[in-house]
Amino acid sequence: MSKPVTIIMIEDDEGHARLIERNIRRSGVNNDIKPFTNGTDAIRYLFGTDGSGLAHKDEALLILLDLNLPDMSGIDILRRVKENVHLKATPVVVLTTTDDAQEIKRCYELGCNVYITKPVNYESFANAIRQLGLFFSVIQVPQAEI
Amino acid sequence: MTANAARRRELVQVLLLTAGFLVLVAISAASILFVDRARDDSALVVHTVEVENQIAAVLLELRRAESAGRGYLLTSEPRFLAQHDTALANILSNVRRLRDLTLDNPVQTSNSDALQAAVETRLTEFRETIAFAKRKDQQGGIAQLRATTAEDTVQRITEISNAMRREEDRLFAARTVSADRSQQWASTVTIAGSGLVVALAALSIFLVRRSSRARDDAEAQLRDSNLNLENTVTERTADLREANEEVQRFAYIVSHDLRSPLVNIMGFTSELEELRGDIFKRIASLSHPDMPGPLSDVDATEPVLTEQDAKLSEDFNEALGFIKSSIGKMDRLISAILHLTREGRREFQPVPVDLRELIEGIAGTVAHQASEADAQIRITPLPVIVSDRLALEQIFSNLIDNALKYLRTGVAGDIAISGRTKLGFAIIEVSDNGRGIDAKDHQRIFDLFRRAGPQDRPGQGIGLAHVRALVRRLGGTLSVSSELDAGSTFTVTLPVKWALGRQGKTT
Repeated sequence: MSKPVTIIMIEDDEGHARLIERNIRRSGVNNDIKPFTNGTDAIRYLFGTDGSGLAHKDEALLILLDLNLPDMSGIDILRRVKENVHLKATPVVVLTTTDDAQEIKRCYELGCNVYITKPVNYESFANAIRQLGLFFSVIQVPQAEI
Repeated sequence: MTANAARRRELVQVLLLTAGFLVLVAISAASILFVDRARDDSALVVHTVEVENQIAAVLLELRRAESAGRGYLLTSEPRFLAQHDTALANILSNVRRLRDLTLDNPVQTSNSDALQAAVETRLTEFRETIAFAKRKDQQGGIAQLRATTAEDTVQRITEISNAMRREEDRLFAARTVSADRSQQWASTVTIAGSGLVVALAALSIFLVRRSSRARDDAEAQLRDSNLNLENTVTERTADLREANEEVQRFAYIVSHDLRSPLVNIMGFTSELEELRGDIFKRIASLSHPDMPGPLSDVDATEPVLTEQDAKLSEDFNEALGFIKSSIGKMDRLISAILHLTREGRREFQPVPVDLRELIEGIAGTVAHQASEADAQIRITPLPVIVSDRLALEQIFSNLIDNALKYLRTGVAGDIAISGRTKLGFAIIEVSDNGRGIDAKDHQRIFDLFRRAGPQDRPGQGIGLAHVRALVRRLGGTLSVSSELDAGSTFTVTLPVKWALGRQGKTT
C-alpha cells in the first residue's frame, strides 16, 4: 500500500556522504538514498520547479540534513520543509559536526526530529549511523500530504 | 610654547608686583625724608623767631636797667636799685643765651660777640652811673649821662641788634622758602608715586584678566580634548571588541570546518583498516591454497601469513596507528579551541560571591583526589567579591586541580588558599609544596597547548591558558612565583566589584 521510504541525503562533503551511506547499508537498510551536495539542488528536488512540494505527493520521504552547506544553511532548508503543508510531516534528521547547544535548540524548535553530532571517532560515527539505520528500518513514515 | 608663554606671563606679573612694591617703598622713604626735612625747616624757623625774641629781650632788659638806673639816680630809692640789679642779671643771662642760640651761624656769632661787647660797655656805664648815685653825687651822675660815650654805646647796640634782626629776617625768608619747597616736593613725590602705583595696578589687573581669560580658554580646550579622548577610547574599545568577536567567530568556524575533513580522514582510515584485514586474509588464503575451508571461515581466526607478509602487515598497522593517534590529538585540540571560544562567548553575570564558600565547595569535590594524593587543603578566610560565579569556579578549580596534580611523589601535599583585599582588589594566593616550575617556564605555562616539566600527567595544556583568559575578562591579573622542587604560588588579583560591560567580551 505505501511506497518504500526514500532517504534524501543533503550532505556537501562527499566523503561524509559515502561513509554515511556505507554504514546505513551495513545496518541492513536497502532503501533508496538520493544524495544532494548542495542546498539549491535539494530544494529544487523537494519542492519541485513550482516550489509547492506537490511533486512528492504519495511518497514517503526521510531527510538526512547537514547544517553546513556551501550555498545555504541547513537550518533554512529545515524551516522551509517544516513550513510547507505537504512536507511538514516528513521526518528530518539533522546530522552535522556542530555541537553548539544554541544550534541544537534552534533546530528542535524549528521542528527537527532527531539531531545527531558527527563524532570524529570513527567507531562512534559508524555506530551512530548504524543505529540510525536501525531506526530507519523500524520507523513509520507518513506519506506526503495532499 | 604655551608653557613658555605662561612662564613669561607669570614673570611679568611678579615684576609688576615688585615694581609696585618698590615704588611704594620709595614713596614712603621720600615722605619720611621730606617730613624730616620739613620738621628741620620749621625747627629752623622757630629758631629764628627765638633769636629775634632773645634780641628783643636783651634790648628790653637794657631799657629797663637804664630807666631803673635813672630812677635811682633821681630818687635814690632802693626800689629802683633792686630793679636795676635784676635787669642787669637778666641782661647777662639773655646775652649768653643769644650767643648760644647763634652758635650755628658765624655771621650772627660775630654779631652777638659785638653785641656782648657793646652791652658790656653799656653795663660798665650803668655801673658808673650807679656808683655816682651811691655816692649821692647826683650832678656827677647826670653829667656822666650827658657824656657822648653813652649815646654811642646805645647807638651801637641798636645797630648791632638791627643787623642781627636783618640777618634773622633773611634766614627766616630763606628757611620758609626751603620749607615750602620740601612740602611741595613731598606732595609731588606722593602724587607721582601714587599715580605710578595706580598705573601698575591697572596694568596688573589687565594682565591678570588676560591670563585668566587664557586659562579659561585652555580649560575649555582641555575639556573638549578630554571629551574627544573619551570618545576615541570608546570607539577603540568598540573596535577591539568587534575585532575580538571576529577572532572568536573565526576560531569557531575554522575549528568546525577543520572537523569536517577530520571525520573523513578518520572514517576512511578506519575503512582502510577494514580493507587491510580483508587484503591480508586474501593474501593468506592465496599463499596457503591448501588451507581447508572457504574464505569466509578465515574471518574467525587470524590469517596465517608468511614472514614477509607479516612484516608488511605490521608496517601497515604502524602507519595506520600513527594516523589515528594524530587525528585523535588533532580532534582534542580542535575541541579545546571550540571550548575556549564558547567560553569566550559566554556572558558574565556579576553576582556577590563568598570566595571561601566557593573554594570550600571546590575542595569538597576534589576531596577524594586529595586523600589519594595524601594532600591537605587549607583555606583561610577569604573576601566576598562581586564577580561571575561560574568563571570563579573554573579559575579556582583549575588552580587547585593543578596543585593536586603536580605534587612531589613521597611528599605529603600541602595546598593553602589565602586572600586579602587591597585598593579595591582581592588578592588570592593558591600555594602548594609540589614539584614547582622552572623560572624559564613561568611564561610558557600560560600559553595554549604548552606544558612544562616531566609529562607524566594527562593534560592538554589548556587549563592555565583558560584561567588567565577568564581572569583577564574579569578585569584581573594572574601571576606565578615558583622554583623547581620548592612549590608554586599562583596569585589571582580580581577587582572586588566587577561591573559588567567594563571589560566586555575578551578572551
